[in-house]
Amino acid sequence: MEILVCLKQVPDDSVEIHLKPGTEEVNLDGVDSVVNAFDTYALEMAARLKEAVGGSITAITIGPEKARDAVKTCLAVGANQGYLISDPAFEAADTLGKSRILAAAVRHLEAEAGKPFDLIFCGREATDRATGQVGPQLAEALGVGLITDLVDIEQTGAGICAKQETESGYRRVEAATPCVVTVNKPAYDPRYPTIKSKLAARKMPIPVLSAAELDNVDPGRPGSHVVRVYEPAKRQAGVKIKEETCEESVLKAVAMMADAKVL
Amino acid sequence: MAYLISEEAQELLGAVKEFCENEVKEQCKEYDRSGEWPKEIYDKAIEMQLHMLEIPEEYGGMGLSRVDVAALFEEMAKADAGFATTISASGLGTKPVLIAGSEALKKRACKLIVDGGFGAFCLTEPGAGSDASAGKTTAVKDGDSYILNGRKCFITNGGIASFYCVTAMTDKSAGVKGMSMFFVEAGTPGLSTGHEEDKLGIRTSNTCDVVFEDCRIPASNLIGAEGKGFSIAMKTLDQARTWMGCIATGIAQRGMEEAIAYGKERVQFGKPVLKNQALQFKVADMAIKIETARQMVAHALTLMDKGLPHTKESAIAKCYASDIAMEVASEAIQMFGGYGYSREYPVEKLLRDAKIFQIFEGTNEVQRIVVANNTIGKF
Repeated sequence: MEILVCLKQVPDDSVEIHLKPGTEEVNLDGVDSVVNAFDTYALEMAARLKEAVGGSITAITIGPEKARDAVKTCLAVGANQGYLISDPAFEAADTLGKSRILAAAVRHLEAEAGKPFDLIFCGREATDRATGQVGPQLAEALGVGLITDLVDIEQTGAGICAKQETESGYRRVEAATPCVVTVNKPAYDPRYPTIKSKLAARKMPIPVLSAAELDNVDPGRPGSHVVRVYEPAKRQAGVKIKEETCEESVLKAVAMMADAKVL
Repeated sequence: MAYLISEEAQELLGAVKEFCENEVKEQCKEYDRSGEWPKEIYDKAIEMQLHMLEIPEEYGGMGLSRVDVAALFEEMAKADAGFATTISASGLGTKPVLIAGSEALKKRACKLIVDGGFGAFCLTEPGAGSDASAGKTTAVKDGDSYILNGRKCFITNGGIASFYCVTAMTDKSAGVKGMSMFFVEAGTPGLSTGHEEDKLGIRTSNTCDVVFEDCRIPASNLIGAEGKGFSIAMKTLDQARTWMGCIATGIAQRGMEEAIAYGKERVQFGKPVLKNQALQFKVADMAIKIETARQMVAHALTLMDKGLPHTKESAIAKCYASDIAMEVASEAIQMFGGYGYSREYPVEKLLRDAKIFQIFEGTNEVQRIVVANNTIGKF
C-alpha cells in the first residue's frame, strides 16, 4: 500500500502561548517547534498499517527550511521518504491554499513514482490553529473520498475499513481507495525513534519541492478572512469534587447542581 | 549543553530527553517505593536501543563517541539514577570481554546486549569488597571446561542479566596473579541468583547475590588468559568508574534544577525564596561543582576515546562527582525546607540515590588511593 502522510510543524503544544501585548501577533519567541500531535498519530497509524500489509510511506510538509526537522523526525519513526514543500510564494497561503499546494504535490509525487497513493493520512487538526480543514479540503481538491476522525484502520479487499470516532461512540466506515483520512488520538501512542533509526534519518535526503516543481501551483485567493485574533478568556477556577468513591462524587455534584437550581 | 557533543548526539539528546520525561521520570517514583524492577520501562528503553549505547559499532552498536554517550547517560540519570545504573552496569559487565575477550566472546556478548539483554560484572564477594583480591570463588579446569564454585554479592543486574563476567581463582596460591575472568551465560546449570538487596537508593536497579555451584562452562569462556583476571577487572573498573561519575553528575544536575524551580515558586516574606542571595549562592555552588564534575567526566572519557592512560582521571571523575552529588542533593533538600524531607517531593530520593556512588565500583576511599598512587608515584 502506497501511503502519504501530510504533517505540519507547530509550536510546542506543551507551552502556553500568548499574544504580544497590544498586538494580534502570536509570541513564539523561545518556543520550540514540534510535529503536530495529531500528525504523529496519523504517522503511527500509517506505520502500523504498512507493517501489517506492506508498502511505503512518504511524508510531506509545507513550511520554511526549519520544517525539514519535522520530516526528519518522521523518517526516524516509519516514513520511507520525505519531502519539504517550500517556496516564498506559499508563505501567505491559508488552509485552502495549502490544500491546493498539497494536492499539487500529491500529483507531482504520483507522476514521479508512476503510481498513485492509495491512502493519504492527515491529522484531524493542527494543535496551533485547530481548523481541521486541510484534510477535507485536500480530499476535495483531489476529488477523492474522505473519512475523518479515525482511531483505527485496516485493509479490506476493496479498500479500507476505518473506525471513526463520533460524538456518541464509534462508527465503522468502509471506503474504496484512494481516499484521504484524518486521524484522531488512537488507543496507542506514537513510537519513539530508535537510536539507529534517528541516526539513519539524519543521513536521508529530504528533497525540496518548490512552486516550479509543482507546475507553479497557485494557492489562489484565501478562502477565509481573519477578522480578529485574541486570547481566549481565562476560565474561572471551578469547584473540584473528589469524594471517596465515584458514586459519592456524583451524588455530591447532583446535590450541588440542585442547590444552584440548575437541575 | 555543557558537554561538547556532535550534532547527531544533540538530536539524540532531544529524543532521549523526551523519552525520559514521558516514560521514566514520573513512573520511577512508584518503583522507588516498591523496589520492584520496572521491566516495562526497561523494555521500552531496549526498544529505543538505549541499552546498547556503549556497544562498539563493529559489534552492532552506534559508533558514538564516549562524550556523546555521556550526554545521553546524564539525561537518563536525571530522570532516574537507578534506571541509568542498570544500563551502565550492563556496559560494565561487557567491558571485560571487550578489553580482553576472544573475538567469538566479543561477538557473543554484544549480540546478547543488542538482542535486548543486560550484562553483569561479578567481582565482589562477602569477604572481598575493597580487597577484591580476597575472592574465594574458584574455577577448576576439567578437560574442555572450567567448573566454578562460589558466591558473589552486591551484583548489579544479577537477577536480570543475560551474561556475567565473573572473577574466580584458578590458582589460590598465586594471590592476585591466580585470579581469572570468565564469561558465564544466564541459564547455565549451577548458576543461580540469591538474596536480593533491599536498598536505600537506586531502587529501580536490581542488586543480588550470584551463586555458582559446580557451574560448568566451556574453557573457551575464559576471558584473556589464566591469571589475568585481576588485571582485567582493574582495567574494567578504570573505564567504568567514569560512567558512575557521569550518572552522579546527572543526579546533581537534577537536584539543582529541582531546587531552582522550587526556589522560584516558593514565596516567603512576600517574594520567591530564590530572590535571597543566600539561596542564589547555594545554586552557584551547585553549578560550580556540577560543571566541574561534568568536565572531569568528559576529560576522562576523551582520554579513553584517544586510547590514552585514564586511571587517575577516571578515579577523580567518579570520586568528585559522587561526593558533589551528595552535597548538591543535600543542599537541594535544604532549599526545599521541610518539603524537601518529604517523599512527596523529588529531592530526598536524590540523596538516597547519590550515596551508593560514593561506595560502588571502588569506594571513594579506594579512589583516593588510586589518585594518590598515580600522583605520588613509587618512592
